[in-house]
Amino acid sequence: MSNKTSQDDNIELSQRRNFFKRTAALGATALAGTSLLASQKDDPAIMHHVPWGQKWGDPVTKNLYGVPSKYEHNVTRRYTKLLASGNYRASIAVTPIHELKGIITPNGLFFSRSHGGIAHVDPQEYRLMIHGLVEKPIVLTLDQLKRYPSVTRVHFIECPANGGQEWRAPQYNSLQFSKGFMSCAEWTGVYIKTILKDLGLKPEAKWMLSEGSDNSEMGRTIPIDKVLDDAMIVWAQNGEALRPEQGYPVRLLLPGWEGNLCVKWLKRLEFASEPWFCKEETSKYTALKPNGKAVQHFYANEVNSTVTSPSPEIPWTDLEDGQLVEIEGLAWSGMGTITGVDLSFDGGKTYVEAKLKGLVLPKAWTRWSYMHRYKKGERLLLTSRARDDAGYIQPTVDEETSVMGVESVYHRNAVETWEVTPEGKVNHVQVRTPGGVKNA
Amino acid sequence: MRRFNKKSVALASALTITAIIGAGCMGEAQPKSQQFTAAASSELNNHPTIDGGVYHPIMNGKTGPYYVNEDTLKGDFRIGREPTKNEIAAWDKDVMPDGTGLPEGEGSVEDGEEIYETKCVSCHGDFGSGGGGYPALSKGNAYDLQKTLTNQRTNPDADGPVRVFGSYWPQASTLFWYIRDAMPHTRSKTLTNDEVYALVAYILNINEMEIDGEEVDEEYVLTRDKFLKIKMPNEDGFEPKIQGEHALENVRTYYKNPKNFGAIKLKDPKERCMTNCQKQTAKVVYIQNGGISDFHPPLSSARTLPGEKAMPTNIAQTRYEENCAACHNLDAGMGAPEVGDKQAWANTLAKGLDKVYANGINGINVMPPKGGTTLSDKDFKAVVDYMIEKSK
Ligand code: HEC
Ligand code: HEC
Repeated sequence: MSNKTSQDDNIELSQRRNFFKRTAALGATALAGTSLLASQKDDPAIMHHVPWGQKWGDPVTKNLYGVPSKYEHNVTRRYTKLLASGNYRASIAVTPIHELKGIITPNGLFFSRSHGGIAHVDPQEYRLMIHGLVEKPIVLTLDQLKRYPSVTRVHFIECPANGGQEWRAPQYNSLQFSKGFMSCAEWTGVYIKTILKDLGLKPEAKWMLSEGSDNSEMGRTIPIDKVLDDAMIVWAQNGEALRPEQGYPVRLLLPGWEGNLCVKWLKRLEFASEPWFCKEETSKYTALKPNGKAVQHFYANEVNSTVTSPSPEIPWTDLEDGQLVEIEGLAWSGMGTITGVDLSFDGGKTYVEAKLKGLVLPKAWTRWSYMHRYKKGERLLLTSRARDDAGYIQPTVDEETSVMGVESVYHRNAVETWEVTPEGKVNHVQVRTPGGVKNA
Repeated sequence: MRRFNKKSVALASALTITAIIGAGCMGEAQPKSQQFTAAASSELNNHPTIDGGVYHPIMNGKTGPYYVNEDTLKGDFRIGREPTKNEIAAWDKDVMPDGTGLPEGEGSVEDGEEIYETKCVSCHGDFGSGGGGYPALSKGNAYDLQKTLTNQRTNPDADGPVRVFGSYWPQASTLFWYIRDAMPHTRSKTLTNDEVYALVAYILNINEMEIDGEEVDEEYVLTRDKFLKIKMPNEDGFEPKIQGEHALENVRTYYKNPKNFGAIKLKDPKERCMTNCQKQTAKVVYIQNGGISDFHPPLSSARTLPGEKAMPTNIAQTRYEENCAACHNLDAGMGAPEVGDKQAWANTLAKGLDKVYANGINGINVMPPKGGTTLSDKDFKAVVDYMIEKSK
């Protein structure tokens, strides 16, 4: 034991000598702030041959459909009992957005929501029927559907209950659960208006019913405006077939609109002059206001944003004093394109402008960033606030609740705040008037 | 990304926002990379967009940032075929408020209660009380509940408003349609039209509702004609109005006004608040009592490998725990023969083991076929054997 210690001391001494030899050349200024290094040991990860460097790797014949590194096993969707109707068949598993980079969600991590369980549709028996107020109704097999000329678009899909458990107060100390009811992918399919060219929409047609073939026969009513704008029938997600959780083989995609409207396992589109009243647009997905009225047909997910780094899951406890760190986040709007994001360090009292990063696409996740010189022991209240080219800007919690109250469940897009504690831990908080503000 | 094209802006709409913004607060215009090529318009065919957002017309071969092959939009594809009348009838099963799609049939409250007790009560509770995450189908008198809703809505400290069928739903057609298509949850589309009428009658009864001035009491028999006379107490509780000739105009006008749905719209992004942006009364509100943290799997960002999982000693047991325990464990209260309940299994087995296997494989009442799994017949039977063994 004592032997070992003295040996270690010797190694340390020689290291220190080497270190000084090397750093002497760099001059005194380079030494400031690096004194820690002087006592550091050589990193075994560098000093030794690593096991995978001395061993045959897997043959290419293994994992013909690739899987993530086994070390990434914690990067998964997650679920909680609170978000399940009794069993996990009318439920949601949410996306680990704290672990995601860029604007595309890998297919295996795309959030999964269903009302009667995830259906497994046989593509041989798949049929799509389009009928009602059209001159020529149509039935298509999957192969026929895919013969239509395709378009490819990057869009997020967001469950309008994203953040919906936090109208009264913050509930989840987690980015995954407070904002992970959404994901963003590149979708390929056909515009419905392209198909309608051949079917001849009758002028009385005002509404479209879209219906899934799953156990719950998920249905929703869509106004004709959207059908003739950018509504799509999609069969591919990030270059491959849709995953079963996303409606394999075919789902509806209404860019920017409630995820629930983007009916999965799509089976039937019917056109009519009056709307349907589906369970998911009456009992649920309606937002009750304090004036006693509930907003129905609440289509677009409004402009929104969140800080993704730091997060409660991946805090700043490892940061050194004086380190320059990137504060990163996502912004999105179902009403248009993100035009800018502001960042506050004091919970939304004062803002500075953050920078957008990478591709900025309509109705898609948009990355933003701000470089911050970290001071050890500082306490921050990080709040981001996005705006879009339709002219909307995120409200404060007080502004939003003064109109919507706290019983809406859906479409909460007020600014969100992370408290960074002096230890670098991150807590989900809200800055608001306790008890709420009365109707403005 | 190409730079913003002045001509296409003019073509789009006066409301187009070019996103050369932020000048006010940062003292400089945004760099070029943050300007948008998106040719967005808040009008579509000379009326406001239906959702309050912008629309991206195809201009100069592009929609927003995406190139479009406009030859693909001309039609005349000659794909697919017309469905037969029977095919349309087989799939067109929706029920609309005016009675379109509502079949002939009848059912009594009495029959409804009996069906409810075998096929619904295990999830929706006695008299539709709900619980365990399953929605309630009634909380009592629909008219009284409807009246108290306003109070519940305005007082955020009270328990949430009672949004059940009787007090909240705008249309009864939804109930018939939804039950016939989606319930019982474990075995949907197995009810006859008469059974659905009976269940609807029962649900009207436990919500203490009336039809045409007549109370839906224990003796009530519901028919198609009577169904069409149901008027839901909260029918007018929703906005914007979506029925009638001017429905789409109503919706467009509604979403044109951000005040209707709690949104904030700026004429010019320079107007946005950069200092003193919170109310004086605003405080930092923390998560109370640890909040919700019952996450599966538990939160972790560790990149270390998990320990070796113990090999399951009994595969049938593992399968039981993963797929059946939720309903079959002792005191699960789902109306299933519970594992460990000798008497219940003796009763079940009285019909013969083969019949029990068959019922499990095909499903019966609330028991989903094969318990909702894709196990082979052989593996499923092994799980049943395990359950029987554990109940001796
Ligand atoms: C295995 C459990 C289960 C059984 C059995 C069951 N249901 Fe359900 N029911 C559910 C779940 C879960 C939901 C919610 C589905 C969702 O969230 O989309 C639901 C929703 C409903 C709703 C809509 C409630 C609302 O307010 O939105 C009605 C009505 C309903 N069920 C009626 C019935 C009837 C009638 C039966 C019997 C024939 C039945 N259910 C049997 C699980 C069940
Ligand atoms: C959603 C709840 C649910 C799940 C999950 C479930 N069961 Fe059941 N099961 C029931 C109910 C309820 C009954 C009683 C049905 C009745 O007779 O009304 C039942 C009955 C049975 C029976 C007796 C059938 C008979 O002849 O009476 C068998 C065997 C059985 N289940 C096996 C299984 C197995 C094996 C699994 C898992 C692979 C499973 N169940 C999963 C609810 C469930």
